[in-house]
Amino acid sequence: MIKNKKGALEFSFAWIFAIIAGMFILFSAIYGVSKFINIEKSSQDAQTAMDIGILTNPLESSFETAKRTMISAPVETRIYTSCNNNGFFGKQTIRTSQKTYDKWSNEGVNVSFSNKYIFSGNPAEGKKFYLFSKSLELPFKIADLIYLTSAEDKYCFKDAPKNIEEEIEDLIGENPSANENFFTEDCPSESINVCFNSRGNECNIKVFTGNSKYVEKDGEEMHYEGDALMYAAIFSNKKDYECQLERLMKRTAQLTDIYADKSKFILEKTGCNSGLDVDLILLKNTAENLGGSGNLNTISDFSEQLSRENKYGECRLW
Amino acid sequence: MVNKINKKAQGMKSKISPASPFRKKAQMKNKNIFQLLHKKSGQMKIQQMSFMLLGVFLFFALVGMIILTVKFSDLKQSATDLKEQNALLLVTKLANSPEFSCGEVFGTQKTDCIDWDKVMILKENINKYSGFWGVSNIEIRRVYPENKEIECRTNADCASDICVRGECTVECTQLNYPKCNLITLIDKPSLGYSKSNFVALCRKEKYNEEIVNKCEMAKLIVRYEEVQ
Repeated sequence: MIKNKKGALEFSFAWIFAIIAGMFILFSAIYGVSKFINIEKSSQDAQTAMDIGILTNPLESSFETAKRTMISAPVETRIYTSCNNNGFFGKQTIRTSQKTYDKWSNEGVNVSFSNKYIFSGNPAEGKKFYLFSKSLELPFKIADLIYLTSAEDKYCFKDAPKNIEEEIEDLIGENPSANENFFTEDCPSESINVCFNSRGNECNIKVFTGNSKYVEKDGEEMHYEGDALMYAAIFSNKKDYECQLERLMKRTAQLTDIYADKSKFILEKTGCNSGLDVDLILLKNTAENLGGSGNLNTISDFSEQLSRENKYGECRLW
Repeated sequence: MVNKINKKAQGMKSKISPASPFRKKAQMKNKNIFQLLHKKSGQMKIQQMSFMLLGVFLFFALVGMIILTVKFSDLKQSATDLKEQNALLLVTKLANSPEFSCGEVFGTQKTDCIDWDKVMILKENINKYSGFWGVSNIEIRRVYPENKEIECRTNADCASDICVRGECTVECTQLNYPKCNLITLIDKPSLGYSKSNFVALCRKEKYNEEIVNKCEMAKLIVRYEEVQ
């Protein structure tokens, strides 16, 4: 009896040792695999974000007007865009999160670009996304603004001015696809209504194109000048819009410096005088001290004057 | 004789009673030997098992490490591919970005046209643009027409020691401009591959007291780093 008990004790000790060591191996394996899956998901998200950034390269236009491309993700994807104003140009960051087994992955790593200005809902969610761009000129070309919308977010443009309506119809094309998300007529019931110069209750986004140009969205006003910034305000939110505007002003200031130096360089080399030196310095100061979209009209007036002077001057700078 | 001894022994054995201390001592001795043997075999089993478990653990760790190495080398390749894709798409559109583009300076709007005067100023301010385009090298090499003043046959004929297709490579500065053929904007010393695109390189020039537009052919070269 005693001998049997001792045997049982020795047997169980061996098993306990095996179980503990086995559990250790098993848990290490599970931990390793879960870490590996997380790394894999992060790399997938980073790759998608980088892809989106890279795919916006062809949208850098020269003189063509707005054009639209579609990007598709293999699974439901959320695209988060944000911006920061550090350094000479600030940065556009893109993060993505993908849906696997009905669960959204954590927002992936930030992929940053200094030369991109993306305006989108935050996040834009879906499998298919439309991208189009428009050039911002104040008065010379500052950048191409990129607008990203999910095919699931239907935008209904109501009472748009003629030029905007025509531009949207151009973007839609002659044969609208099944995933079309821009409408000027026969809008789907779940559309986001973008109303021009109207304060109707059915309007989700109100665009005012009079003397005071602004977009009202979620109870907040975003002032704009030119169609490029109008679209930016429509598809973006107040925080991102103001941040991107500040980045654009930083680039305006740097470009103004280049044009001012170019003016002197050409004058020395050829004797050709642009006559814009003083105005360029003023434009740079205005851009650097804009202080939000509310003061955009000052830079707009100034840019119109500069544009005229450049056009009819002795030596064109842009 | 043997029988006699056995009998003697049996007689001695029978003389030791079951309760005698000699018998107990013998029993104890037998028991200790048995326990020792049993204990040793148990330890052996544990040792065997622990070696086995260690072997299994190391095997899976090794397999895991091999998988990770393969996966991460894939990841590096993907990162390099993305950089290549970025460089390829960038080089086709870089000439249209505001820092390079001609705009309406030389008549009407032109695509793939670089304003050389503007680029010379950009070169002076390039420290602000480090990392802006996300590539490690951007250079513009004028390819046509050939500049007779910097003709060469061998590298020895050139001050720069670089003779490319019968023309010395002369880096552009504000002092030698436009008698030069290479504008290096960003030059990060790194291993990588390059993508290029042909562009028009235009400038304002004084000719017979008149200011004229002069456009030449150039190659815009973008280099990207290979992910190590």
